[in-house]
Amino acid sequence: MERIAILGVAHLHVDAYVANLRASSAEVIGVYDWDAERGSAWAAAHAVPHYADPQVLLAEGIDGVIICSETAHHRELVELAASARVAVLCEKPLGVGFEDSRAIVQACSEAGVRLMTAFPIRFDRSVTRIRDMIRSGDMGDVHAFTGTNQSVMPMRERSWFADQRLAGGGAMMDHIVHLADVYSWILGAPPHEVYAVNNRIVHNHAVTVETSGLAVLSYPNSVFATIDCSWNRPLNYPSWGGMAFSVVADAGTLETDVFRQQLTQFGGTRDLSWVPFGLDTNQLMIDEFLASIREDREPLVTGLDGLAATGVALAAQESAATGRPVALTADRILAPARPGQTADPLSSELLDI
Amino acid sequence: MSTRRVGIIGTGFMAGVHADAWTAVGHTPAAILGRTADSAARLAAEFGAAPFTDLDAFMHAVDIVDICTPTHLHAQFALAAASASKPTLCEKPLSLSVEEGRRVVDAFESAGIPLQVGHILRFTAEYVVARNQVAAGAIGHPAVVRLSRLSFAPRREGGSWFEDEKKSGGIPFDLMIHDLDYARWVAGDVASVYAKSALNSLGHVVAVLKHTSGTISHIESSWSLPAPEFKTSFEIAGAAGILSFASEDTTTFKVRLHEEPSAANTGLGDTELAANPFEAEMRSFLNVLDGTADPVLTGGDAVAAVQLAAAVITSARTGKPVDLTPIREVR
Repeated sequence: MERIAILGVAHLHVDAYVANLRASSAEVIGVYDWDAERGSAWAAAHAVPHYADPQVLLAEGIDGVIICSETAHHRELVELAASARVAVLCEKPLGVGFEDSRAIVQACSEAGVRLMTAFPIRFDRSVTRIRDMIRSGDMGDVHAFTGTNQSVMPMRERSWFADQRLAGGGAMMDHIVHLADVYSWILGAPPHEVYAVNNRIVHNHAVTVETSGLAVLSYPNSVFATIDCSWNRPLNYPSWGGMAFSVVADAGTLETDVFRQQLTQFGGTRDLSWVPFGLDTNQLMIDEFLASIREDREPLVTGLDGLAATGVALAAQESAATGRPVALTADRILAPARPGQTADPLSSELLDI
Repeated sequence: MSTRRVGIIGTGFMAGVHADAWTAVGHTPAAILGRTADSAARLAAEFGAAPFTDLDAFMHAVDIVDICTPTHLHAQFALAAASASKPTLCEKPLSLSVEEGRRVVDAFESAGIPLQVGHILRFTAEYVVARNQVAAGAIGHPAVVRLSRLSFAPRREGGSWFEDEKKSGGIPFDLMIHDLDYARWVAGDVASVYAKSALNSLGHVVAVLKHTSGTISHIESSWSLPAPEFKTSFEIAGAAGILSFASEDTTTFKVRLHEEPSAANTGLGDTELAANPFEAEMRSFLNVLDGTADPVLTGGDAVAAVQLAAAVITSARTGKPVDLTPIREVR
């Protein structure tokens, strides 16, 4: 039974992860948050022991940590976990800047600690099938992806998502990474250029970051892929949002609407709501993190994958600011690690930069 | 109701669609101009119209000109109609270049006669209702406009003008121009265009627009679907709410017969059960001629659409965004 600690409770997914950990029979040893008041309140609500000092928590014979702090605090917490030689599952995006994100990967690499990035969509069955169909060659050449990852703006108690300093940006930092990672995973190569546009028309007066964005990623062999990362679902939307993408290939088209499995509820507790009944990809992601610890192997999603996707989001921000396409060079982005590979050949190149 | 004589130039697929629509609005075509006596006679016979192969004779026999020729011939017939002082309905696109389009619009403006270009979404119920909702402030200022038009590759006989991108303009001028014009109608003038086009494929183009109003648009146009799939969808996400439409979700009538599919050759969608957009287009033009309605779109709008389609091609070729000087304010 793996002994897991939670570092940071700022990210809304932490509520799900603690249930996922328990469902997988992992032991949740304790929780730390830099905001002791928030940390202890969360600890009490979820029956997890609260630690005011992360070093004390990490000295409890921990096998792995899940980092759910604000993005700006990821680095210091990853570095603590790395020095304690504890496997890390880190929320996305990895860091608020490229330097920050690279330091996270470097700290784990130097300490010989496994780093996994929280990309649950990798575990979705439709997404996996799309990848298998493309990788098998059955679809012929792939030409284009069109994708959306739109949501309600994360606000209220989790308002840090729209705080430039804590989140590194707005909708682009929040939502580009998932689809960027999925596209690169399917194609087996990273994009070499990004063009993006954005605006702050939705919630214009509430925040200072971008709330809508469109990114176009250029991949090898003239493949292109788009991402709508907008926080433009109204606050009374029937769900948090969703993710969907389609693929155009020689043999035809493939489409997935990842969160489509939901009931429609009219009236009662809300006027209209969509109640999910589909696969819990968070559970599969947590299972994979625990299995990678147990089996002492690289997780399916690595830190380098997280770094590559974060690099795309950062380049998209730059493109939106300059109005020009931004090239993703070696110091910005790296090829995703292949599953089962323990040492990525590019990692040494990365760490020499 | 006027008794204007409608003359159609062209005898292909769209000429038939227009002839039906004119008939439905009480203006059965009086004349058909064809490239050959046979093609003109064939379509003319269906509507009891007079067939023509001579342009001057045709112009003398009509009060309204409706241009349904291959795309690369639109502008030259429009110029001929302007010199003959005939109010003209021209299928989209107006032209294959901004310069050519401007010449046509200038000719109609100096002649003081109406020109309406067939940007059919401006008469298509779901698009009109959405635009009216936006204009009424129902969802606040548009932040992101997503427009999607996915079709199978139109099948035409070998050697057809349609296969030649120099004559048809390919996806940007033939398919995407609908949504380019619509994006501009909903969100205003466009400041820049970035586009990607799939190489060695049946045809798939994506464009990202930045409007001067701050709105951003994502337009997807494709001939990549298997026949006879044809689907359109849109989403307009504004500061206060979202409007969305998907043809797949709003079909009121579905047919699944155990028989070989017919050789579908165009993706016009299921217009029978909705308000027929072509009839709305003809009716609107007649009202403009009668002076009872303002034009839904101007010649300047049509040139602006051509400018956008040309920018899509340039951006896809160069890999760079194309900055635009807006042609004219949207009316």
